[in-house]
Amino acid sequence: MRVTVGFYSYFKELTGCSQTSEELPPGGTLGELYKQLAGRFPKLAAMERSTLIAVGVDYQDRDYVLKEGDEVSLFPPVQGG
Amino acid sequence: MRRELTITKDAIDELALISGRQASAGMGAAVQFLGIVRGSEEGSAISAIEYEAHQRMAEHQFNLLFDELEKRWPLESVRLVHRLGVVKVGEPSLWVEVVSPHRGEAFAACQWLIDEMKRVVPIWKKPL
Repeated sequence: MRVTVGFYSYFKELTGCSQTSEELPPGGTLGELYKQLAGRFPKLAAMERSTLIAVGVDYQDRDYVLKEGDEVSLFPPVQGG
Repeated sequence: MRRELTITKDAIDELALISGRQASAGMGAAVQFLGIVRGSEEGSAISAIEYEAHQRMAEHQFNLLFDELEKRWPLESVRLVHRLGVVKVGEPSLWVEVVSPHRGEAFAACQWLIDEMKRVVPIWKKPL
C-alpha cells in the first residue's frame, strides 16, 4: 500500500522536501508510517512529540489505519493569526 | 448562521469589509477584530511575517469551528479573512467579525474562534 506524505512549515526544511510517498504493509497505521519516516528523515524523529498528523483534511491519532492512496500531512504546532 | 471565509494572499481591505457588514433588526452587536503583524517576535525585531497554510485543510477546520460557533452562540453571521504570504509589520493578517443579538456572546464567540484557530487551523508563520 502506498500513501503520499506532505510536509508543512519548517518540516519541509527538516526533511528537505515538501512531499514524498511511502510503502506500507496492508493495515499499516499512522504510527508505523511515522516510524518509517523518522528512519528516513532523522531530524523529524526529534520532533515526534510536537508533530501533528492529518489524513486528508482531518487530524488523526497514531493508531489510525491507513488506506491505499491516503494523503497524509505532517506539521508542527499551528500558529495562525 | 451566515459564514464567509477567505484565506488569501491579497491584502486585507478593512474598509471594504466594514462596509460589507450586514445585520438584521434583531442584531445588537457586531464585534470586529483586526490582527496586525507586530514588529518583534520572541524579542527580536522583524520586518514581516510569511504565512503558509495547508489551504484545503485550513478551510475544512475553519468550517468545523464555525459549526461549533453556531451551536454555542446565537450568531447571525461570521466573517473571517486570513492573509497568506508576506505580511509587513503593521499590516493586518487577520480580520474577524461576528454579529449577534447581544455584545456578550459576540465578544465570547470572537475570542473563542481566534483561540481555537490558533490551536487547530493549519496555518504557520515565519518571521522575516
